Amino acid sequence: MTSRQTYSQQNAANQSQETDLAIDAQNVTVTYEDGTEAVRGVSLRIEKGEFFGFLGPNGAGKTTTIKSLVTLLHPTEGSVRINGYDTATEPEKVRRSIGYMAQETSIDRELTPRENLQLACKLYGVPVDQREDRIEALLDLVDLQDVADTRSEKFSGGMKKRLDAASVLVHRPPVVFLDEPTTGLDPEARLRLWNYFERINEQGTTVFLTTQYLEEADQLCDRLSLLQDGQIIATGSPGTLKSEFGTDIFEITLENPVEERIERAVQAVRRIETLDEPTIRTTEDGFTVRSARAREAASDLFAALDGTGVSVSDFDVRSPTLDDVFLALTDGSSDTAGRADTGMASLSAQEVST
Amino acid sequence: MSSHSTDKGPVVDDTAQEASGNSVAADIRISFKRWLVKNLRNPYVIFTSLVQPIIFFVLFVEVFGAIAGSTLSAALGPDISYVTYLSPAIIIMSTLSSAATSGIGLVDDMEEGMFEKMLVSPMNRSAMFFGKVLSEVARIVVQTVIVLLLGYLLLVLKNGAAFDQYLRTGAAGIVGVVLVTVIFGGAFMAYSNIVALVSRDQEATIMFTNLLTFPLVFVSSAFLPLSVLPGWIRTVAVFNPITYGVDSVRAIMLGQDVMTVFEMTAFGGIWNTVVPAVVILVGFNVLLGSIAIRLLRRAASIKVQ
Repeated sequence: MTSRQTYSQQNAANQSQETDLAIDAQNVTVTYEDGTEAVRGVSLRIEKGEFFGFLGPNGAGKTTTIKSLVTLLHPTEGSVRINGYDTATEPEKVRRSIGYMAQETSIDRELTPRENLQLACKLYGVPVDQREDRIEALLDLVDLQDVADTRSEKFSGGMKKRLDAASVLVHRPPVVFLDEPTTGLDPEARLRLWNYFERINEQGTTVFLTTQYLEEADQLCDRLSLLQDGQIIATGSPGTLKSEFGTDIFEITLENPVEERIERAVQAVRRIETLDEPTIRTTEDGFTVRSARAREAASDLFAALDGTGVSVSDFDVRSPTLDDVFLALTDGSSDTAGRADTGMASLSAQEVST
Repeated sequence: MSSHSTDKGPVVDDTAQEASGNSVAADIRISFKRWLVKNLRNPYVIFTSLVQPIIFFVLFVEVFGAIAGSTLSAALGPDISYVTYLSPAIIIMSTLSSAATSGIGLVDDMEEGMFEKMLVSPMNRSAMFFGKVLSEVARIVVQTVIVLLLGYLLLVLKNGAAFDQYLRTGAAGIVGVVLVTVIFGGAFMAYSNIVALVSRDQEATIMFTNLLTFPLVFVSSAFLPLSVLPGWIRTVAVFNPITYGVDSVRAIMLGQDVMTVFEMTAFGGIWNTVVPAVVILVGFNVLLGSIAIRLLRRAASIKVQ
């Protein structure tokens, strides 16, 4: 975050350029020929040096939005400026300013990793005397130095993904678009990439990231937007979003959790006035209580349970995660319906973090 | 660290910078080299360019040569061996096979995501395709020379003839044959790319190019003089670019007018064959090339599709 300050100061010193925005999208709308409105009025103002997350369920329009930012798609309506250049009138200048890692791995399988990176260096005109060092450093980073001179056609999905990541970063673009860059990677590779993304971001690179791992967004992003049905439904820092849309969650496990006992306990909890409009869900061996005031009402909750004669075998209170925010905001959308239970969502978040 | 750097101004190391990009000529070179390497590494390319011509050449000479001799003498004169007669057909067939693979590389690039990767890079888009076309032209040139020499080797093995009996127009003839194959190949490269851009599918591209090109070879003057073939084939042959490719290569190799579909006397000697044939081939290039370019433009455009 300090890096962002330094970077904007630099720009201020550069006698305040016309814009300090790395990405300035105004009311971007993409309507396909068949009438599908993939993106409906998305506006983004992302400062130079920001690490920005773009989240949303599958089919929300994330990739279509990115494509209209990186000059692959011309929006039906609205305008986009990247690094100060208009994507409609100055696409060449935009292309010189960006790196784009597509969701589908894009490498030349008939070339070796080294040759893929050399090709990327050539495409972007990286000075010849710098190529060697950059390529070596990136091969090392993505852990492909052992196979640097092996044709990449037989690589595993993860290896190809790592090579792809390296090849969009080798020319060190000021603005990087990463469309689910770590999907399918093992945890170690993911962590290494995260560290690298953070490092280039600290050195001033603006990063625009979409991910399915909310944990990833939470860790890396300064700010993020949630996209649903082609529209942004919330924007803010992970912390802000969590405190604004997430609620504390009580997970209570009962001894001898038969239906009748759980029901009795839930009835008692419902009567607690200090729990301001709680959402209570029964689980297999107890129930969960979501409430903005779960922590303050904890003693009331136990007192109420005491009165019912149902004893608690285990309890847990946790702060909201981005998963909770995501679920709260995108509730009912097809993608999340299958895992509407928060327990599942937090479990999957834990899995990715190990 | 960070407080120091703020005092002295920001640490803008060489991390983020706009790419300089390249000149169009440099972009063409980059694309050309990339495709050259890819083609050399592709076993299918080596097969269609080298193994297939050898197989066809030897088989056709052995099988058809046994019966074609008298027909040939009647049509073109007594001193022409079937090997010499067949060489232009094999040369054109090999060019055809190579040119027909052009679209496969394009589809492959689209499926691999490399097409899109190039589109978001500063690379000049025309250069991107021109470099690829050049690499295919280079392949056709090398392959034509090899098949030409292969034919001579076969002739020597069978009859022990001298080179000027094989290629009667000499060194200039080699250049002429190469030029004709390049022009001929251009039309089929365009055709292959049209199929690729319409189908966006590798198997479909391979199937549709082979489906059309292989039978086309037989309904032309490639293997036997048109005069001995059925009337319907003679009719089809008039509209078949292969006829014009084979006829002009054959005219150059035999050093005489062999135009099989219509008579022309205005240019004299082999030119009576080569000039109209090349004009027609250029026509095919313009027609198919402009369709291919239009489709490519659309594929590479940033409009919503």
